[in-house]
Amino acid sequence: MSENIVEAQGLVKRYGDIEAVRGLSFAIRRGEIFGFLGPNGAGKTTTISMLSCLLEPTGGTAIVAGYDVVRAPQQVKRRIGLVPQELALYPTLSARDNLNFYGRIYGLHGRALRQRVDEVLEMVGLAERAASAVKTFSGGMKRRLNIAAGLLHRPEVLFLDEPTVGVDPQSRNAIFEHVERLNAEGLTILYTTHYMEEAERLCHRVAIIDEGRIIALDTPRKLVTDLGGGIIHLGIADGMAEGLLEQIRALPEVRAVTRLDGKVKVEATRAQEALVGLLALFNRTDTDVTSLEVLEPNLETVFLHLTGKRLRD
Amino acid sequence: MLHQILSITWKDLKILFKDIGGMAVLFLMPMMFIIVMSVALQGMFDPSDTGQPWHLPVVNLDSGNLAAEVIAQLDSMDGIEVETAWEGEPLTRERAEALVSDGERAVAVVFPADFSECVEERLSDAEARATIELITDPAVSTQFIAPIQGMVLGAAERVAETSLVPARFKAGLAKVLAHLPGETQIPLDRMTIEAEETNVVHVEQVAPPGMDVEVFPNSYQQNVPGYTVFGVFFIVATMAESILREKQEGTFRRLLAAPLPKPVLLAGKLLPYYLVNLLQVAVMFGVAHFLFGMALGQPAALLAVSLALAAAATGLGVLVATFGKTQTQISGLSVLLTLTMSAVGGCMVPTFVMPDFMQTLARFTPHGWAMQGFQDALVRGYGLAGVWPDAAALLGFAAAFFLVGVWRFRFD
Repeated sequence: MSENIVEAQGLVKRYGDIEAVRGLSFAIRRGEIFGFLGPNGAGKTTTISMLSCLLEPTGGTAIVAGYDVVRAPQQVKRRIGLVPQELALYPTLSARDNLNFYGRIYGLHGRALRQRVDEVLEMVGLAERAASAVKTFSGGMKRRLNIAAGLLHRPEVLFLDEPTVGVDPQSRNAIFEHVERLNAEGLTILYTTHYMEEAERLCHRVAIIDEGRIIALDTPRKLVTDLGGGIIHLGIADGMAEGLLEQIRALPEVRAVTRLDGKVKVEATRAQEALVGLLALFNRTDTDVTSLEVLEPNLETVFLHLTGKRLRD
Repeated sequence: MLHQILSITWKDLKILFKDIGGMAVLFLMPMMFIIVMSVALQGMFDPSDTGQPWHLPVVNLDSGNLAAEVIAQLDSMDGIEVETAWEGEPLTRERAEALVSDGERAVAVVFPADFSECVEERLSDAEARATIELITDPAVSTQFIAPIQGMVLGAAERVAETSLVPARFKAGLAKVLAHLPGETQIPLDRMTIEAEETNVVHVEQVAPPGMDVEVFPNSYQQNVPGYTVFGVFFIVATMAESILREKQEGTFRRLLAAPLPKPVLLAGKLLPYYLVNLLQVAVMFGVAHFLFGMALGQPAALLAVSLALAAAATGLGVLVATFGKTQTQISGLSVLLTLTMSAVGGCMVPTFVMPDFMQTLARFTPHGWAMQGFQDALVRGYGLAGVWPDAAALLGFAAAFFLVGVWRFRFD
């Protein structure tokens, strides 16, 4: 059995002149939670759609659970579970009716179906509400049921597309716990999100995606460490002389200094220490600072550093 | 594969039957129309209930005496006023035809010259029949004609039988006497005057020259199929909205990520609505039959038309689903289409009262063909062989709607 459950090579999806996915290459290892982190429209859902055989790639290849998504879509579909971003449930039917229906579509029936539905309802903590119509559920409960429907046929890999959109923080935590438990039981998960906290908490490795490209791929810790200790954004009245920029570069803990949209971006190995040096310098040179923002090191700052944009712009 | 189709069908039926409002539109609304319109329009379709006497022009060309006896009997009946003269002149066949074709009278009766002779021939020839002609205006409902036809036939039968009794008795006696010598026992059945297998007199409905006789529906035979067809096509909105919801709510996306071929998914989406259509027809016709006593004519023909009608309605549902991007667009388009086609197709107003071009237009709607098919089976008593062109036309609509619909269909 291959160590990688998903292998994508140069994956491209084009709609006319628009290139939604521009040559993605990545591999997901069995048993890991692999994250796609990127803003809305980055190409995350399009990529998941190609891996789920819902969209045919314009270019490149993808092997999922040992089968090519173009040549053997039915084999792939039997081995994946897709939890779409939308609540793909029938609101007037009960939770059990919804799961019974999806189970039958995957060929389950009779006692095996009943047992499996009970199991997944238990897994997502909805056993007591099995008979209630889905429309009476809270947002978080619907999200959990949405996940349950993707687990019925015991997939080898689960694609979770933005599974926490529109849920309150408490329900979000419950979903995190379910995802971690499923992974602990051996399920490989591809988790897409535009919330960096989710990627940091859940994912073993994260691919940061922007405008159809992977711009970084590693463990969250490594991505943050590579960036360094943080970023300081400075707004300075009357622009800034090149000489001052050189003085900032020379300060301890400062790694790089660049101009960005009329501001100055200071990358620091340790943000707090660099800030002390900066304030002393501005005091000494009588520089008029109009704004100052310290961004602690995290995936958000990694994204900002790599793209110049915020995740939720 | 069949298992998957049935799973989708069962799921959709569950959703449908939980939707009280949707069920009301599909079942209660057409039923309400059927009841209200059938009762309200009874006087229009069954004017014989109005209590006014019928003016019945009668032309007597009979060289014998029997026609005059029939006319005398008719004249003595309540509700009939026999007219043997017009404007002071004895009525001729030509004049009677002119009265009908000019719309002065709805029906006229003509006793031919050999009427008495044909009745008497019956004694020697069991196949002999005397004919009375009913000149009718084809635009007049059968409900105007049927009572007149019955009364004329009844009177003529009575007169003919009465005139034949003495001669028949003589003939029977002669048979008995012929057996007497040499026979000790006369079988009783040989003494019985053989019962006639066919009527002595029959009435034939004829149209004035150049016009065809048609049979027209009564109030139930118009309104029950009319509002059933009308209601059946409301499935278009229900079905198209369901398809749109599956797209918008991501359930199609989830289903297509399962090992479920697209044709299976589409078949699963069609079947429940097809079955609901058949249930609608069964409920409407069942209520009309059991509650209002509407005769079902030829059930096999009704079934054939119903099967083809449901296919056309669900086919249109697939097509409409490909044109709407929102629920509002779909319901607007469905209502516009179904109401227009119902009106043009003769569901609300019978096509025989429409001008010619409207009657031609009705042929371009599935509603028009369904109405004709149902009325062929209900009113005209056509069997499968008679309604196959209607069913075939409906299947043609179904195929066209479905093929264009599938060609345009997008699952996302």
